[in-house]
Amino acid sequence: MAIEIQVPKLGLTMEEATLVKWNFSAGQSVKKDEIVLVLETDKVTYEMPSPGDGVLAILAQGGTTIKVAEVVGYLAADEAEAASLGGGAAAAPAAEATPAAAAPAEAPKSAPAAPAASGGRVKSSPLARSMAAEHGLDLNAITGTGPGGRIVRADVLAVLEGGAQAAPAEAPAPTAPIQAKCGLLTVAEELPVSGVRKVVFKNMHQSLQEQAQLTLHTEVSAKEMIELRKKLNALAGDGPKISYNAIMIKAVAQAVKLHPRVNAATNGEVIQVWKEVHVGVAMDLGEGLIVPKVRDAETKSVVQINRELGELVEQAKAKTLMPDDLAAGTITVTNLGAWDIDHFTPIVNNPESAILGVGRIIDKPVVVDGQVCVAPMLALSLTIDHRIIDGAPGAAFLKTIKDMIEQPLLML
Amino acid sequence: MSERKISASAALAEALHDEMSQDESIYILGEDLTAHAGIFGQFKGLPEAFPGRILDTPISEMCIVGCGVGSALTGMRPIVDLHFSDFVTCAMDELCNQAAKIRYMFGGQVKLPMVVWCPDGAGLRAAAQHSQSLESWFVHTPGVKVVVPSEPADVKGLIKSAIRDDDPVMFFQHKRLFAKEGPVPEDKDFIIPLGQAAVKREGSDVSLLTYGSGYYLCAQAAEELAKDGIEAEVVDLRTLKPLDMDTVAQSIKKTYRAVIVHEACVTGGFGAELAARIQSELFDYLDAPVGRVGTKDVPIPFSPPLEDFVLPSVADVIEAAKAVAYR
Amino acid sequence: MPEDSNLLLSMYKTMVKVRQFESMAGEYFAAGDIPGFIHLSIGQEGSSVGICSALRDDDYVATTHRGHGHMIAKGADLNKMVAELFGKATGYCKGKGGSMHIADFSIGILGANGVVAGGLPIITGAGLSIKYRKTDQVAVVFFGDGASNRGPVHEAMNMCAIWNLPVLFVVENNQWASTTPQTYSCSVGDLCTRAAGYGIPGVAVDGNDVLAVREAALEAVARARAGEGPTFIENKTYRIRGHFEGDPQKYRKEAEVKAWQDEKDPINRYTKLLTQKKLLNKTKIQTIWDEVKAELDAALDFAKSSPFPKPEDALNDLFSNPY
Repeated sequence: MAIEIQVPKLGLTMEEATLVKWNFSAGQSVKKDEIVLVLETDKVTYEMPSPGDGVLAILAQGGTTIKVAEVVGYLAADEAEAASLGGGAAAAPAAEATPAAAAPAEAPKSAPAAPAASGGRVKSSPLARSMAAEHGLDLNAITGTGPGGRIVRADVLAVLEGGAQAAPAEAPAPTAPIQAKCGLLTVAEELPVSGVRKVVFKNMHQSLQEQAQLTLHTEVSAKEMIELRKKLNALAGDGPKISYNAIMIKAVAQAVKLHPRVNAATNGEVIQVWKEVHVGVAMDLGEGLIVPKVRDAETKSVVQINRELGELVEQAKAKTLMPDDLAAGTITVTNLGAWDIDHFTPIVNNPESAILGVGRIIDKPVVVDGQVCVAPMLALSLTIDHRIIDGAPGAAFLKTIKDMIEQPLLML
Repeated sequence: MSERKISASAALAEALHDEMSQDESIYILGEDLTAHAGIFGQFKGLPEAFPGRILDTPISEMCIVGCGVGSALTGMRPIVDLHFSDFVTCAMDELCNQAAKIRYMFGGQVKLPMVVWCPDGAGLRAAAQHSQSLESWFVHTPGVKVVVPSEPADVKGLIKSAIRDDDPVMFFQHKRLFAKEGPVPEDKDFIIPLGQAAVKREGSDVSLLTYGSGYYLCAQAAEELAKDGIEAEVVDLRTLKPLDMDTVAQSIKKTYRAVIVHEACVTGGFGAELAARIQSELFDYLDAPVGRVGTKDVPIPFSPPLEDFVLPSVADVIEAAKAVAYR
Repeated sequence: MPEDSNLLLSMYKTMVKVRQFESMAGEYFAAGDIPGFIHLSIGQEGSSVGICSALRDDDYVATTHRGHGHMIAKGADLNKMVAELFGKATGYCKGKGGSMHIADFSIGILGANGVVAGGLPIITGAGLSIKYRKTDQVAVVFFGDGASNRGPVHEAMNMCAIWNLPVLFVVENNQWASTTPQTYSCSVGDLCTRAAGYGIPGVAVDGNDVLAVREAALEAVARARAGEGPTFIENKTYRIRGHFEGDPQKYRKEAEVKAWQDEKDPINRYTKLLTQKKLLNKTKIQTIWDEVKAELDAALDFAKSSPFPKPEDALNDLFSNPY
């Protein structure tokens, strides 16, 4: 009996995913736990291990949108069985760009389903197409609101007028010219707006579109924090070293307890203040920004936070983060200190309402009690959604963080 | 402008009176014309005003139309009353093989000025053989012009143009609209050229392209749609051949959406032709597929609930308009 | 009996013209020079020429798919006729009609008609128009024994009768409706008896006796011009050729056709009569046939040297008031 290859539900919220590619061709032998295919949701890329040994039969081609629990292929006992199950339409590995329809999951015994156009096709009205062409818009980047997701005039207008964000593009190559051909530009590299990039695209734009963002800057002495870290590391022995980020997360979570209203979100009609403090940590592991969450950070110790943070980094590197790991943050910390950045203007991770930007720690001449001396200084940049948090409460929140960094005992 | 309101019947009689007074070669022939001035009273006053020029015929549709053809070829300007448009079937050879083709197949030697006046349409509980809307048959026949007026002023302006035209014109006038009143200019020179549609209500969200009785459905639907914030533009095509595609195009370039409304049954109706032309000529302006509203594809049944069910309604027009407007 | 020898000779020449025209058409059709299909009236010249000899230029004629003879007898231009058969731009209909749809409104020919009995409703209209305009024209419709069974015949005869229209119904009973014999398809042998049902005079005439046909036509025309209404004339004749050129004619025996040729042939009979009357002799006959041939040759030259219509001319002539 052939083994079904089924799209797993990666977390509570996932309903569908894109089958990015098969790592094997139809008819090839696959061993259990070899990465057989790559899925991509709007939050993560997931390399799916093979559920067993067998000869691969492919039902859904790369590029197809797949529903959770849908059977996308089989691991058959032999080549003959694989062929009978749908191995006929051999898909070259990494045939990512070819959109094709998923075969009906409940018809494994029937003839192989011919790939039909539906999955990857962008439906749009003729008018929407001509408008998009006229304005150099990529239809793939526009969300259709018409029947069956058809892109209609209103959708193009919304993009043109800046009223809606462009939705993730499916196809790697935009159909419309990005910049007028003037002979002065040559495309050196073309990168698909997909996967993590797609999410970043959407979130960043949406955040700036929707929120009224204000960034406050301050500088704090990191002296006590450095001391704290040294002590904790000494206590940890061979355990993982404590990162500054862990301390920053703790400081932010504790500060939120004193300023609960910064831990909020709005739909334009009400502001909801959250009970939990789930602190997101912005990470860039080379493929784009992801923001895993440290849950209930205000209830956890720095050491505990540090450990969880380490696990999240490992999972991110291994690409095993689940969508739920990335969902439902309430506030975010982002750290650019490693790149010698001091102040910057972080963009709030919508729909949160605040983000703390952490700069480098650098020795600076400072005046203490009328004397110039050298101290390790840290630049903090807090961006708040001014719709929810006014300047003064925002500044007060930042001041509390500053106090906690400078007097870590306050975090207790 | 004159605000005088008269019925579509009166508008027809007035126009015929005007034209017959000016041109002796015009005469009317058909069944049962003089006793009641037409079975719908549509020729009121004419038998008295023009004795010998309103001719009762035997029930001989082939020969009635044939008489029109033969007399048109020999110097007359006949107006043929077909009694009910359904009876075109009895004279199809005369209409389609003779009238439509004679000028062309004889190399343009002759003109054939004939109006075939066809009372058509449903709603009178007249059932399958007295209720049809058959205009698209003639649109499909090269060599005849096809006029389908709606309001009384259109009847007057268009029948005059049809009479003055040197080619065979099929003139379909809806039976249920004879009594409908509307402002009609008294001017004897008031004419509406064939091939000129009228934008009877301006709107920005959807074009309702219609003619004949469909106009009244659209006018009412447009008022309802406005309450929901959808501004419909009502284009009364008035003549189907020649078709005023310019006005259709202007409207669609403004609204990007079209619904075609006619009383003829949907399949193979004029809407099919118009939708095809819209998609080929205005493809890039379309934001939605062209909608069509018409009678369901059955003969017109007798019993009121049956007939009402198969005929297009204001609600059908509203629904179709909302569908193409994505509302 | 007409005394005018010029008229008698002119009728003879017209019959020869019809005969030579039809023979020519058959030859050129067989050679592939005439597109489509053609229907010839060889053997029926007595009817076409006899009737039309009684008509004025301003009288109307509606004819049939087998109408070359009626056209020529009414005075059609041979150049334009041949050119039309050849599909040339200089033809009567600029190549749009062909053999079956040929007309000359300048001499009152309201058209051949591809629809059997299609001419009857039209001639009714022409008759009505004459009456309405109060002229003394007459309107003649030719049709066949096959057509006589169609509905429009009934409608037209009744309508012309009730309105006393100046119309001649001329049925050319040539015994065959395409492949169907008249004896099979008609309920009566003498079609003229049907006229009684409409209260109009009906006469049967030896259609191959051109003078007998002329005589019947003269009488009917006189009645019509006098406002006494329509007449129904049945010219009994025979279709020598097949229904169309190339017709294998499996439906009839050669002997039957033979029996209607030679002595029963309308031209032979008329030749004999005019020879007896000393109006014709061998030389004169030869001269007439040569003259006609020369005229026809000239028409052929005209047609052959004429251009075909430009393809896009197919889009012209649809409407008098085009849009």
